[in-house]
Amino acid sequence: MKKNQFFPRKRWWYFVSKLLLCMKLTIFLFVISIFAATANSYSQQSRFNLHYENVTIKEVLNEIKSQSNLQFFYSNDDFDINRKVNVRVSDASIEDVLNQILREMGVSYKISDNVVIISRSDVKWSFGKNQQSFGVKGKVTDENGVPLPGVTVVVKGTVRGTITEVNGHYSLPDIKANDILVFSFVGMRSREIEVLGKTSVDVVLEEETVGIEEVVAIGYGTMKKSDLTGSVASVSATDLAAYPALGATQAIQGRASGVMVTSKNGEPGTEPRVRIRGGTSINASSDPLYVVDGFAGGTVPAPEDIQSIEILKDASATAIYGSRGANGVVLVTTKSGIAGKTRVELNTSYSVQEIGKTLDMLNGQEFAELMNDMYVNDGLTTVPYPDPQQYGKGTDWQDEIFRTGILQNYQLSVSGGKENIKFYTSANYYGNKGSIINSDFNRISGLTNLDISVNDHIKLGTKMNFIRTTRDGLRTQEASGSTTGTGVIMAALKFEPVQGIYNEDGSYTRHKIGDPHDNPVAIAKEREDNTVADVFQGNSYAEIDLLKNLIFRSTFGVQIYNSRNGQYVPKTLTGGEIYGGIGSISSNKNTVLLNENYLTYNKELNELNKLSLMAGYSYQSYRSEYWNASNRNFISDSFSFWNLGGGSNYQSASSSLTEWELASFYGRFNYNFANKYLLTFTGRYDGSSRFGANNKWAFFPSGALAWNVKEESFLKDVSELSHMKVRVSYGLTGNTEIGSYKSLALFTPSTTIQDGSTVNAVIPYTVANDNLTWESTAQSDFGIDIGLFDERLIFTADYYYKKTSDLLYNVPLPEYSGFSTSLQNIGSVENKGWEFALTTVNSNTAIKWNTNFNISFNRNKILKLAGGDVLYMTVPGHINSTYSQILREGEVVGAFYGWVTDGIYQQGDDFSAEAGKVPGNIKYRDVNGRDTNGKLDGKPDGVVNSDDRIIIGNPHPDFIFGFNNEFSYKNFDLNIFFQGSVGNDMLNYTRLELDRLAGYNNATKDALRRWTPTNTDTDVPMASGANKAEVSTRWVEDGSYIRLKNLSLGYNVQGNILKRCHLSKFRVYVSAQNLITITKYTGYDPEVSYSDSNTNVGLDYGSYPNVKSLTIGVNIGL
Amino acid sequence: MEKIKKISILGLFLNFMLACTNLDEEPLGLLAPQSFFKTQSDAEAAVMGGYSWLASEYLYGRKLLVTLQYASDMCDIGDIGTASRRIEINNFTANSNNEMVSNMWPIFYQVISAANAAISGIPGIDMNEDYKNQLIAEAKMIRALCYFYMVRLWGDIPYIGEFITDPNAIKDITKTPVSEIYEFIIADCEDGVKYLPDTYPKGIRSRPTKGSAKTMLASVYLTLKDYTKAAQYAEDVINNASAYGYDLMGDYQDLWKADLGNHKEQIWAVDFKGSLQGNYPQQVDFMAPMTGVRDADMQGWSALVASPGVYDSFDDRDYRKKVSFLTETSIKGVLVPYTQFRWPRIHIAKWCLYPGSSATKDGTLSDHNYNIYRYAEVLLIAAEAINEAGAPNAKAYEYINKVRARARNFGGTQTNFPDDLQSGMSQSEFRAAVREERRVELAFEWKRWFDIKRWDIGTEVFTGPNSYEPHPNFQKSHYLLPLPQDELDRNPNLLPQNPGY
Repeated sequence: MKKNQFFPRKRWWYFVSKLLLCMKLTIFLFVISIFAATANSYSQQSRFNLHYENVTIKEVLNEIKSQSNLQFFYSNDDFDINRKVNVRVSDASIEDVLNQILREMGVSYKISDNVVIISRSDVKWSFGKNQQSFGVKGKVTDENGVPLPGVTVVVKGTVRGTITEVNGHYSLPDIKANDILVFSFVGMRSREIEVLGKTSVDVVLEEETVGIEEVVAIGYGTMKKSDLTGSVASVSATDLAAYPALGATQAIQGRASGVMVTSKNGEPGTEPRVRIRGGTSINASSDPLYVVDGFAGGTVPAPEDIQSIEILKDASATAIYGSRGANGVVLVTTKSGIAGKTRVELNTSYSVQEIGKTLDMLNGQEFAELMNDMYVNDGLTTVPYPDPQQYGKGTDWQDEIFRTGILQNYQLSVSGGKENIKFYTSANYYGNKGSIINSDFNRISGLTNLDISVNDHIKLGTKMNFIRTTRDGLRTQEASGSTTGTGVIMAALKFEPVQGIYNEDGSYTRHKIGDPHDNPVAIAKEREDNTVADVFQGNSYAEIDLLKNLIFRSTFGVQIYNSRNGQYVPKTLTGGEIYGGIGSISSNKNTVLLNENYLTYNKELNELNKLSLMAGYSYQSYRSEYWNASNRNFISDSFSFWNLGGGSNYQSASSSLTEWELASFYGRFNYNFANKYLLTFTGRYDGSSRFGANNKWAFFPSGALAWNVKEESFLKDVSELSHMKVRVSYGLTGNTEIGSYKSLALFTPSTTIQDGSTVNAVIPYTVANDNLTWESTAQSDFGIDIGLFDERLIFTADYYYKKTSDLLYNVPLPEYSGFSTSLQNIGSVENKGWEFALTTVNSNTAIKWNTNFNISFNRNKILKLAGGDVLYMTVPGHINSTYSQILREGEVVGAFYGWVTDGIYQQGDDFSAEAGKVPGNIKYRDVNGRDTNGKLDGKPDGVVNSDDRIIIGNPHPDFIFGFNNEFSYKNFDLNIFFQGSVGNDMLNYTRLELDRLAGYNNATKDALRRWTPTNTDTDVPMASGANKAEVSTRWVEDGSYIRLKNLSLGYNVQGNILKRCHLSKFRVYVSAQNLITITKYTGYDPEVSYSDSNTNVGLDYGSYPNVKSLTIGVNIGL
Repeated sequence: MEKIKKISILGLFLNFMLACTNLDEEPLGLLAPQSFFKTQSDAEAAVMGGYSWLASEYLYGRKLLVTLQYASDMCDIGDIGTASRRIEINNFTANSNNEMVSNMWPIFYQVISAANAAISGIPGIDMNEDYKNQLIAEAKMIRALCYFYMVRLWGDIPYIGEFITDPNAIKDITKTPVSEIYEFIIADCEDGVKYLPDTYPKGIRSRPTKGSAKTMLASVYLTLKDYTKAAQYAEDVINNASAYGYDLMGDYQDLWKADLGNHKEQIWAVDFKGSLQGNYPQQVDFMAPMTGVRDADMQGWSALVASPGVYDSFDDRDYRKKVSFLTETSIKGVLVPYTQFRWPRIHIAKWCLYPGSSATKDGTLSDHNYNIYRYAEVLLIAAEAINEAGAPNAKAYEYINKVRARARNFGGTQTNFPDDLQSGMSQSEFRAAVREERRVELAFEWKRWFDIKRWDIGTEVFTGPNSYEPHPNFQKSHYLLPLPQDELDRNPNLLPQNPGY
């Protein structure tokens, strides 16, 4: 939880402060209060019965607090709060009690409404309410114009000050013209204002987005940022809602160092890939664990409902999640209600979206000439388009499938409550009409959080989230090479520009030469692929104060996911025509149950020694059901997939069940010595059903040490340095994401055909591995946090080294065993790198300018592989007939692998290395031969063959960065956010298929430079059926990019207009996303991925491009 | 007191939670081997498992068949842009990384593994002993078939005769010599002769019978040049043809009409049914589109076409020439000669013309049942073996002439070509005749490559003056494929690599 969820509200008896308020000026004021009283009950009238001996003043004050709704302000500097006293009062007023316990302490107190301020007797406190208004007065509000009560206003250099009232008003007497007033409040950035003779000074305090006193979520608890020993990055609600994003994962792109978020493609509803400090695995998932309000593996709600996101990166932070922590942990804290006036907020935005760029394709005439050229080069005497001129420009198919997309986002939230019951509830709608025709995604979601205080000892609460998503999908990723497998994007690029959409009879056109592929408009409009998914997630908790400082918390959570996918290929498409229509429907039903029970014990042994302990047990189960049915040969296309009985060619049905269970014991020990030395140990003992009989349980420990150097006496006086901390941590975490039943020997049911009918068959499937165990990642982290100039400059740097061993790897078996692989714990991968984050307040005057910059350098390497190199390919065989990628020791995961092109063969060249090639063909470089033992020797042997393939590209970036700038001036705010990735290669399959110049498809304008006997000075080969679909350096490109991710300008309406409209906030803004992308990449977009896995990175093949958006939006608060 | 109560509640609660945890996996919908072999239907399903992979894209669905085709002198690359792995096989330039090689190898062994699982698991089942022996013998036939292919493709290879539960136990083994592998193959086939039935209900041909076992023995002994035994087994089949239900089809064309399903000429076939494909690559076949015409109405790919001189090497009067070759097809509804095809080559007609009613438009997922052996081959084995064992006798003429006689049925019209061979031929004349008969009768049926190897005529047919498909680089070492490099890397005890690679 972060502090900004404790904003005070207009009515100050609703004023909530759960932990502490803290300010640092000439005096500290700690505010510790929990209000249990109802509104309007003024505690000054409360009577107390207290009988204590030898207790600290602090304990007495706490007791008073619990019996009333009084709130105490005091500074530890003023008196010894831990001093032992005796109290013996009956039916006493607050004054009586205070007089008794504060006797002889040299302090005095003042009571105003429910506030008690205790301070040294020489401090002159004045309360606006009780004073005549001379001197300076004014009002303090937050950015939204909400009055802030309880703000301290101090005359700089003195101990004179006051606290603002319920309505935010304050007044101070005896102010000199040149005095400086300091306004401070927990969670807000302090401001110093020169009085300059004015009698009225109104002040707006801004939320402090960073700060060492911030409270951040850690696993199973919260912690002051200053006490952290691990590497944790935070993303605030403001950043998450900066522009309309599909989900929180999209919104954190570029916001935190060490976190790489990459969109897979631009299709509406596609969640991006997230990697925290690199991919730790090859076969198991490298996705981080998402923990939503304590629900591990929970579904992340809409970004607008999220209060904050913490990203746990090093082992000290993640080891508490044990076997699931290796890929980092994303902690999501949703918004909760705050006692006070009910707040209603409406946030809406409307965006128009366009494809970033289109590819420059041949027009009708150029295409016809290309085809003719190819036919002639292949030795044919007839050509398909004898008169190319007649086709002119032809059809630009990209124009036919792309449209202006529309994104609408609405969120209505209502929050508030009383002290003993608080609520936050919201409804969200996110609707995206994609920038390709017929691709739509809608999400309706709602979130309700309730927090109930039953009594002083028991708190209950529940968090409920429901989400329905509906996706009308498109096939944009190609299937196989037949006429039925084409996706919309590739079809738009490949389809003959010499044809229109429809034939004269109204039917869709199909490819005239080559196979009769459908045209892209037909594919987009006719093919149905509709998915509806419902998520319900509920998580209830009870928190009981068992003993003093000992809290027991138990949660029960359930997540239910139901999805249904329906597909129909009608007879109007070639695929459907063959079978008379193909319909299928499939469904998934997943259930997760989670129970967590843990105890937290916090103890201040004395002023110097503080410790906290947490220990718990959790049990989680998962069950996934799947079933599918399909049929063909339908009477009518009009059934879609809603009458599978209407077909006559039943296909085999399928169903499956998958389950796993995880049981865990976990604990954490924090020790704080004098706020200088911080020590953390965590451990988790996990048992998972997924692992081999001999290895069900494993222990994941971590330890960390932090040194608050600034607290040392030798730095105390360095006022420029506001904080400085050095951290070091080491720990083990695991990865269980391998799927279920992987350790068992299994036969799998199959079928075979006898007499034209299916009969049952069984085939050996996997071999047992009783020793199968967790992938474990050992991670070391060295970090430093520095704050300068009163936190105007905050710098964090981390170096980490992660080594994942016992890699769950399908170890190649001797294939004569009948099994090709067995899942074993062999092999290791390392990720290491640097991360830097810098936050600065560049200007704090009328024009405010803050920047956040983060940059991350990760290096990935395969240390050990069992069985040597692994070559593999990802795209269907018709696109690429050779392996495209390699896993090899000493190299990155997923390096591109192929031949090195060496220009074009010319007349008179030596063709001996590549017999069969002719002038105009691509030339490959001879780099390798074999020695007498048959081993590759790295010496050219005069023959180009598969031995001459080498690593030709690295899909991992050298570094990624995010650069955010926030400006504000008067009522305007401006945000400029850049994000980028540098040094990563892309394998452009799209171009491989288009510009290979061997197919019957259209090509880019590069084809105009193709080799002909009269145009020999070129790197584009001649058009010929002999040009093979092989991976070579020709298709590897630099995928670096820098992107202006967001540019937004907002205007906050303030003043009387708001009041007249009964609004607390009204902000309008215009923004643009992805407005500028600087890249050398020739495809639509460098930020796409054909297939999403650890081993497939940087592949572009007909991916749905990302879009540019222009957004207008309104934020309204009631 | 209150606190004690609270803590005991907590304790009870934790106890309860711990008691609920069970981390053992009990998968539903998947089968654990140790508990599988219980009933007769389990035994049947285990035997059927062998066919699952046999009828896959890797073997009878495409890769095995086209490898044998390309390697032979009868077939060539049509579309020159086709995958390099095919061109390398066709041109004898494949190395140990060739993907045809690396794809087929493991799948053969997976079929063997499925057969071994059945052979080791079935004996423990309580069921009719005769039927038990029959099923085991069937699995052994499947195993023998795979090894027979492999030993001819690769030579010495590891022989695995048991179901492997611990692959590490065999990771260092060495190759088994060819001669030993043949002994195992023969033993398996002999069990087939002993235990398999004469026929199956419903005329099923996709399971081996006594006749299939004898045919394979004939074929094995022919390869081993034990002509007496080859002739003996082939004649055994011929003499019992009526009991086994074998005869020649009346019309040669009917052999490639997929819709006809099982028929009497099939001795053992791999059954495909287009509408019933399993998960790729199981029950997925591509022979029709591989041989069909690119850009034509049949939507083939022209990947595998007849070698340039092959068409002319057939007599125009031979009905089998008409059935085997495709010289014209319809493009956009107009019948055009091959010279106007996208790849102007004479194509192969046997699979692309009648792939069956459930095939897709391009012929993928056909209803073809690909013959392992058909009766005509048995007749030709008998004729060849008798001749090689000594001299052509009357039976040898009878067998070969039976095949020739059927070819005179020119789609319903009786012609006089090819006429019967007349007795009085020398052994070498008869040898030439029977070899030519095999080439013509079994054209494009993946028999030719092994014949070339068996007869050791590679140098002649690839580098000789009358070569249909000259490959001057051909060496006798090309009779064997390279062992897959990754397998050698995993177990260096399999070295040395086959010569020449």
